[in-house]
Amino acid sequence: MKLKMTLLAASLIVSMTGTAKADDPSKLNDLEIAHVAYVADVIDIRYAHLALAISSNPDIHEFAKTMIRDHEAVNEQALALLGKLNAQPQDNFLSQSLQKGAEELITEMSQLRGDAFDKRYAENELAYHKAVNNLVETAFIPNIENAEVKSLFEAGLEIFKAHESHAEMMVKKVN
Amino acid sequence: MQRRHFLQTSVAALAVTGSSSAIHATTKTPAHHDITISRFKFVPDTLDVRIGDTITWLNKDIAPHTATANDDSWTTDELGKKQSQTLTITTEMSGKYYCVYHPHMKAKLIITS
Ligand SMILES: [Cu+2]
Repeated sequence: MKLKMTLLAASLIVSMTGTAKADDPSKLNDLEIAHVAYVADVIDIRYAHLALAISSNPDIHEFAKTMIRDHEAVNEQALALLGKLNAQPQDNFLSQSLQKGAEELITEMSQLRGDAFDKRYAENELAYHKAVNNLVETAFIPNIENAEVKSLFEAGLEIFKAHESHAEMMVKKVN
Repeated sequence: MQRRHFLQTSVAALAVTGSSSAIHATTKTPAHHDITISRFKFVPDTLDVRIGDTITWLNKDIAPHTATANDDSWTTDELGKKQSQTLTITTEMSGKYYCVYHPHMKAKLIITS
């Protein structure tokens, strides 16, 4: 179980960082980056809804509700900014690979019950926020051209780092 | 000579400031305090207050937060971006509080008499 988890986290990070030039996250433009971020938010909201449906652990419920509340708040700001800039986010390889990974994980997690689900959910939340934060910090923020978009990503990173610490607490609680 | 005069004025000003806070201590005029919630921190995270004082919590983050007693005896509402709420200090508000949504956000009110 542990090994499988680590492998999945690793493959998520590899698929997100990419190796081929065509699949280089640091080459994405602002509108593609915005799309990735939006998709990443929506994915975490979907994981949270799954947790609310399956878990009976009150700590997991509180955590999942925070994920929904915060990621929705960030997406609301992102949509407002895109509206103001009169821009549409652009789908790209990274958004698609994140979506695909999430579909697989949701299928897998929806088979689990009780402690097994809680552990899997908490561990994935930690791995997922770590991977996304790494991506935002190293590939996105240094390459975003629009100052307002950049500052929204900096605020977003602050939130996701808080989630990462929170997820660390959750992992300890359920193990 | 000029410099000496300046120093004397400063000392006098300090003395006035000192005495005004002494008056405040004896008459216990309720004071107002501001706590900012920014970057997942309560600022300041420790505050000396008196019964009857007021505190305004202002959330500057995008993420919604709360200020809630560790023992649940009091709480603000959910504070969204740029929202604030003012509470009047009562006896039970002494002690630790946190954000219900982000439990690692911790702070403390110290009630002095
Ligand atoms: Cu909070």
